[in-house]
Amino acid sequence: MTEQSNLKILIADDTDTDRLILQTIVSKEGHQVICARDGVEAVEQFEKERPDIVLLDALMPNLDGFGAARQIKELAGEELIPIIFLTSLTETESLVKCLDAGGDDFLQKPYNRVILQAKIKSFNRMREMHRTMLEQRDQIQIHNNHLIQEQTVAKQVFDNVAHSGCLDAANVRHYLSPMAVFNGDVLVAALRPSGSMMVLLGDFTGHGLPAAIGAMPLASTFYGMVQKGFALSDILREINQKLKSILPVGVFCCATFLEVDFHERTVTAWNGGLPDCLIYRPKTGTVDHIKSKHLPLGVLSNIQMKVDCLHFELDPGDKVYMWSDGIHEARDGAGEMFGEERLLNTFHNSNNKPSLFDDVMAAVQGFIGDNEADDDLSLVEIEMVAPEEVSSKSMPSYSTEGPGLMEWRLQFEILPSTIRYFDPLPLLLNIVTEVPGLRSHSGSLYTILAELYSNALEHGVLGLSSELKASPEGFAEYYAQREERLANLQNASINFAISHDTRENGGNLTIKVKDSGKGFEYDNKLLDLSSKKGYCGRGIPLIRTMCESLKYLGNGNEIEVVYSWRSDR
Amino acid sequence: MAINSSISPDGSELTFSIQGRFDFSAHQDFRRSYENLETAPSVYFVDMRETTYLDSSALGMLLLLRDHAGGDSSTVKIVNCSPDVKKILTISNFEQLFTIQ
Amino acid sequence: MSDHTALDQDTLEMLKDVMEDGFNDLIMTYLTDSEVRVAALAEAIKSQDSEAVRREAHSLKGSSGNIGATGLAGLCLVVEHKGRDGDLCGLEENLSDIRAAFAIISDSLKALLN
Repeated sequence: MTEQSNLKILIADDTDTDRLILQTIVSKEGHQVICARDGVEAVEQFEKERPDIVLLDALMPNLDGFGAARQIKELAGEELIPIIFLTSLTETESLVKCLDAGGDDFLQKPYNRVILQAKIKSFNRMREMHRTMLEQRDQIQIHNNHLIQEQTVAKQVFDNVAHSGCLDAANVRHYLSPMAVFNGDVLVAALRPSGSMMVLLGDFTGHGLPAAIGAMPLASTFYGMVQKGFALSDILREINQKLKSILPVGVFCCATFLEVDFHERTVTAWNGGLPDCLIYRPKTGTVDHIKSKHLPLGVLSNIQMKVDCLHFELDPGDKVYMWSDGIHEARDGAGEMFGEERLLNTFHNSNNKPSLFDDVMAAVQGFIGDNEADDDLSLVEIEMVAPEEVSSKSMPSYSTEGPGLMEWRLQFEILPSTIRYFDPLPLLLNIVTEVPGLRSHSGSLYTILAELYSNALEHGVLGLSSELKASPEGFAEYYAQREERLANLQNASINFAISHDTRENGGNLTIKVKDSGKGFEYDNKLLDLSSKKGYCGRGIPLIRTMCESLKYLGNGNEIEVVYSWRSDR
Repeated sequence: MAINSSISPDGSELTFSIQGRFDFSAHQDFRRSYENLETAPSVYFVDMRETTYLDSSALGMLLLLRDHAGGDSSTVKIVNCSPDVKKILTISNFEQLFTIQ
Repeated sequence: MSDHTALDQDTLEMLKDVMEDGFNDLIMTYLTDSEVRVAALAEAIKSQDSEAVRREAHSLKGSSGNIGATGLAGLCLVVEHKGRDGDLCGLEENLSDIRAAFAIISDSLKALLN
């Protein structure tokens, strides 16, 4: 709209002379004039004509200008209808009364044409600005509602992906606070086929959608690979590679990745950029730190990336705590941060109570008070428990109703360069679990394949003696030799022959593993469950309990097991 | 938060000094102070003497600077860090990428 | 005492300019309107209604000011204030001053009519 535009202007004055003068001045400016003789008429005309600007005499019969102004402002609602009081009132008190009634300005008698024109112009500008502002406000509101709606849907997807897996397991507790709709923190957990639990807590640079977006590939890579039995280092490399390639420079993910093995009672940890994780041992009241030794994920290329981990032994009841820096950087009213010292004090003052998780949350929230957290708060607690206590309702189950791999045979041979750098187990497990119904056996199958493979590799191909593992010193020696021999490996092979027959409600999976080693003297009759003890040879009796049959063949460099399974349904 | 930058007379060294909190609000100023220079400096100094705090966005900005300065072949030195600032850099293991003094 | 019958020539010129053909109508409107107001003011004084005194004096003051009759407007202001303050002394005298001034202004304005 331009300033020349025609406006509709209401003039209310009980004096005919004054009204006539004003009417003439205003119509000469090209505006449309509506007249009223008193306040009541003014309000009626306003409702009927909806003028853009109102000129009101202060003192009028029936209803004076103040009363009329109040009613007109009321009727105008959100719209700005400028009201200019026509007055010869000079006392401050009366002028204040005009403003209180909703008047926007005054026009003193005798009227000055130039001033009146200027006022109409400037109030029209203000009216238009106000209207634009209202339109924009409404648009912003619409956009905002739309955005929130979209984000709510996206958050559901995000939460399903980024805060999921076996977080509901009985030995896991966690807290995640969303700062916006989205959280820059990602927490994923899943059980490996071997039964150990992998947990990754990540904190992406920034907040909201840009921070959340990187969580998607992270989570899908994590779940896909954990389930297939990949090692922690492989999963880390894959995630790092993905993030490095998709995130812009300067956006990265500080992360801690843990593998908790409930059989071996160990935790393997990689920390890149997050505050120390703590291992709390209630028996002794001591706390171990899992320090950040690496750059965050998504910073280095895979060639420069280091995946060496820290290892800790855990006793039943020991708890591992992971957090993002939101807890350390939570601020109180005075802007001071919670800090690591307060966190450690909470641990030291816990008196071995089982409520440490709640104590930490209470300490942080008590410290923040009513202040809003300015970073995402994430806290995870994992307790070392017996393997059978680790179960999760929400682990993805795959109903493979349709026909899949039913009857088949597979020959797979790996040679030195592959043996040195490649872990064939995820690949094999992946194929085997394509058999409808075998997916739910992946834990046992992984154990069987892993034991057979490590026997073939370590005792067969590398010729290591399991006797060495009988003592703690020998244990280290064993692994030193393993590394050395693996590096110098030549002319070796490990051959897998796997076949499957489907039966009614189940099937038989036959696995033969043959290595290029010289074998050993064996007696299949001695393969009963109680024969071997100590550090060594644990694998074979374990497999024996899981399989229908187990026997050595040839020179002892070949082993055959039959895994017989029945469908639960 | 304020960022001052100065360049040595021969243009070979660029020094930033950051006052107060180093966080996302510094993004524009920080970038502007190293982009569009006539000659690319060979050494960058980030002076943290008056920096009270840095967040992960600031770490991201340092990575951007490093990238701009030539990535692995760059020389970016972070100097005069307070213990708090140094701790944040250490947790993130930035000493693997930057010279921290 | 200033001249209560003076007409501000600048204001009248401005009105002629703005009103053009409507100038005669304006003057006639003012004269008719003011006669009514003066009569109403007299009535209010007679009935000792201070609020009505104030209102009528205020209106006559406004229109007189607008027409350039600043002296008359000044007389009205005195009465308006008395009405506001509830001070009803000497109003008869004020009224006759207003009547006298208005009679002369009336003649001057009529002389301007084409």
